[in-house]
Amino acid sequence: AISREAARRRRRVESDVFGDLSRLLPLQASVRAHLDKPSIIRLTLSFIRMQALLRGENRQTEINWLEEMYLKILEGFLMVLSTTGDMIFLSDNVSKYMGLSQTELMGHNIFEYTHPCDHEEIRHNLRLTAGWKKCRENNKHKDFVMRIKSALTHRGRVGNLKSTTWKVLHCQGRVKLCVASSSVSCLLLTCRPLPLSHTLLSTHTFTSQHGMDMRFTYCDQRVTSLLGYRPEELLGRSIYDLCHTLDTSCLNKNHLNLCLKSQSVSGQYRMLVRSGGYVWVESHSAVIPGVQPSRSRPNPSQPLCILSVTYVLSGVEEPSLQLSLDQTFPRYPR
Amino acid sequence: MSAQSAAAGGGGGGDWTGSEPADDVLVEEEQSNSLPSLVTPSLTSGMSFSMDMPRKRKGSTDNQDSKLALINDADMEDDQNRSDGEDQHVKIKCFREPHSQIEKRRRDKMNNLIDKLSAMIPTCNPMSRKLDKLTVLRMAVQHLKSLKGSASSFSEASYKPSFLPDEELKHLVLKAADGFLFVVGCDRGKIVFVSESVTKILNYSRTELIGQSLFDYIHPKDMGKVKEQLSASELHPRERLIDAKTGLQVQADLPIGASRLCSGARRSFFCRMKYNKIPVKVEEKETQANTSKKKESQKYCTVHCTGYMRSWPTSQMGAEGEGEADKQDSSYFSCLVAVGRIHSHSAPQVNGEVRVRPTEFVTRYAMDGKFTFVDQRATTILGYLPQELLGTSCYEYFHQDDLLHLADRHRKVLRSREKIETNCYKFKTKYGSFVTLQSQWFSFVNPWNKEVEYIVSTNTVISYDNSRTGRSGHKSEQSGNSKASEDCKKSLPVIPGISSASGTMIYAGSIGTQIANELLDFNKLNSSPSSGNVSPFSLAQDKSPQTLHQITNSVPNGETSDMEIPGKSSSEGEPQGASFSGGDSLMGENSQLDLDSVVGASLNSLSNDEAAMAVIMSLLETDTNLGEAVDFEEMHWSL
Repeated sequence: AISREAARRRRRVESDVFGDLSRLLPLQASVRAHLDKPSIIRLTLSFIRMQALLRGENRQTEINWLEEMYLKILEGFLMVLSTTGDMIFLSDNVSKYMGLSQTELMGHNIFEYTHPCDHEEIRHNLRLTAGWKKCRENNKHKDFVMRIKSALTHRGRVGNLKSTTWKVLHCQGRVKLCVASSSVSCLLLTCRPLPLSHTLLSTHTFTSQHGMDMRFTYCDQRVTSLLGYRPEELLGRSIYDLCHTLDTSCLNKNHLNLCLKSQSVSGQYRMLVRSGGYVWVESHSAVIPGVQPSRSRPNPSQPLCILSVTYVLSGVEEPSLQLSLDQTFPRYPR
Repeated sequence: MSAQSAAAGGGGGGDWTGSEPADDVLVEEEQSNSLPSLVTPSLTSGMSFSMDMPRKRKGSTDNQDSKLALINDADMEDDQNRSDGEDQHVKIKCFREPHSQIEKRRRDKMNNLIDKLSAMIPTCNPMSRKLDKLTVLRMAVQHLKSLKGSASSFSEASYKPSFLPDEELKHLVLKAADGFLFVVGCDRGKIVFVSESVTKILNYSRTELIGQSLFDYIHPKDMGKVKEQLSASELHPRERLIDAKTGLQVQADLPIGASRLCSGARRSFFCRMKYNKIPVKVEEKETQANTSKKKESQKYCTVHCTGYMRSWPTSQMGAEGEGEADKQDSSYFSCLVAVGRIHSHSAPQVNGEVRVRPTEFVTRYAMDGKFTFVDQRATTILGYLPQELLGTSCYEYFHQDDLLHLADRHRKVLRSREKIETNCYKFKTKYGSFVTLQSQWFSFVNPWNKEVEYIVSTNTVISYDNSRTGRSGHKSEQSGNSKASEDCKKSLPVIPGISSASGTMIYAGSIGTQIANELLDFNKLNSSPSSGNVSPFSLAQDKSPQTLHQITNSVPNGETSDMEIPGKSSSEGEPQGASFSGGDSLMGENSQLDLDSVVGASLNSLSNDEAAMAVIMSLLETDTNLGEAVDFEEMHWSL
């Protein structure tokens, strides 16, 4: 009986300390009331780590009416990842994308929330050097696509927590080293879904559709003024033929991303212009079911296709240069 | 949503520092039964339809426990005051798993967290012995108090306590994004605001930029593009949106003659912006889009701008809005609020770009050895313009002595995913002399249908050898594949319809065709890759004309192999060297990045149907964001 009393007292003391801790965290009262002990520790860890990370940071104190806009404009959320993959910090709009709140997710490990096939790539991007000495690897801008769990339904509501979907996120960012302690160094990422719809396209873009093998099945008229090909000329052609050889690996990676993750941003590559030379372009693509399928009965014969929006970034370079077979067709009819 | 404990479920959502999450298997729910049986288990684990609430995921040992769903239900409903979490009032519904194991997992998780906490608290660190839980917690409290005391930016008075003050957040976002925020008026492009981070990116100071016209900093050729993005005039028919369902473009119905821009309309475009030159060494071979040609003195970098149109009453604009009102409606100020970010460094081709030295050039062959792409450097080395080489077979230029070994390599490269090196060989230049080259070839295969798209060849010059090889008779011939001796000429076949004058050229080209056809035939027959000996083109070192004669006999009528044949080629079976690597260079150590070599993705072991099904499955589970409507409510920002 005495030992039970002692145990109960110990537990009460412990609970009190947990309570103290939670009150020191910058949380809304309603959130605070529902925290369990592991969560309190998680959030405390996040708080301490973020403070350590930002200490000594030289920043301007500009109070500006635009400040709230940053994340809205980027249409994404901020993620701070430790070297081991703990999501030390997430901006509170993460709930819009994952359906789970900031406090629910912070402190957990990213590998629990992302698609297993993407883990390798995430790990690769997390490779931070120990020590604060800057190295080439750390200075590199990171850019990759990953799939993360989302508890949102297609209409954007928080759905049944038992059924989640994968959300494809385009993550870009860089390493932030903490001078004081290397273990606090982390990866800063902005994560955004890749929207293709409702984007106002300019004259310097064209859209195209491809089979899963990246052969053109459709291309809009704009391509003629940008690259010189008529849409009909492109049908059935493989995109690999139409690009500079040195960009093969870039296209390959893009294609793989599409096959495996269903969305991709290509990075910059060169497309050959019909009359000679090439332009630099970047493509944002996604795999879509060719025709709106009935979701309850997937069917292997359903045509999948790749939808691509290609931005032309530069003017025509080396316009007189003919690099590929496609460019040698006579310009004038015989 | 409350942050529930994973107590009953065990060590699910805790910290997995250093653990290999690859072992974690998602809990299969009932819905998984709807997956067709042809999906292999390895796929299922990666692409499960549903999963429990994230933090309740189990380690692989618990995968079989179906009752976990029950426990999680219990937890969900059991939204009690968890401060007494140690008490066991929720695990009653556990049946199969020993209670002690659940408890153990909880304790381990808690201990793990406490350890992490003690590592982060300065006062805990120096302690030699491990501190007990309570002490660590108490020290944490102290530490937080001290942090709060010194942190000037953490405002307790703010009505909405946030984990990170907005200002810190903004700073981190811009750092991560490598971007700067800017606001430009639509009318004249006046830069109304630009964030401090622009200095790091464009190397101009804020004061230099604010008040200037954006167009002063845009590449001349992109001005039209940017003007179009800023304006909403219906003169420019560029309101093209993409219909998520069909993927086709649709005309947007924007109100005609609207004096105010559609507030909240999204803009996304690339443009080249000037950046202030700083004296850095520019690589000779920079061929990226972000650096202009060396002739131009102004450097530009490609900036991706994404943002929204915004329009608000000028009365609220103050000094910034002065003189910036719309022409039509002077009471409103329309502008673009956007983030500009540079990500040219992220282009994979930068990482993977072949470091081609001036004595190297790159070419592309079709499967049958015909040139389909020739890098401009080839001209200085070989003398031919690309168009002179394009469409012709590489065999026409190879020296006779090298034919066999190169043909052998050709066959090898078509059957392998790896980089194949040739020996040194002679390549005939335009002027009749030969240069000695050495090449690395590899077949680039379409990741989806596994067909060879083309062969990439990186060619290095070994020596510019002007001497003739001593074999007479080829000086005057145009074709590269000359036969010096008379008896070789005799062995040339008489191809019906082709005169013997051009016989040598056809002959040369036919080697490549033959090799390509071999592959296609072999694919159709589905025979094992190792059988190269069946073909008449045997691996003999025999250089006698006899062998070559054999080939020519079986040459089809000079027609090129058709690369477009949709072959259902079986797996090549070659060992894949590539693991996923960020620096996947074109000619890197490993072979082409491939579906096979990505962790967990075993699409190659499935038939085409299954592979397609797998992609569909993953697609259905994925929110492709195409259906997302733009939430205009969100755009109402108060000033």
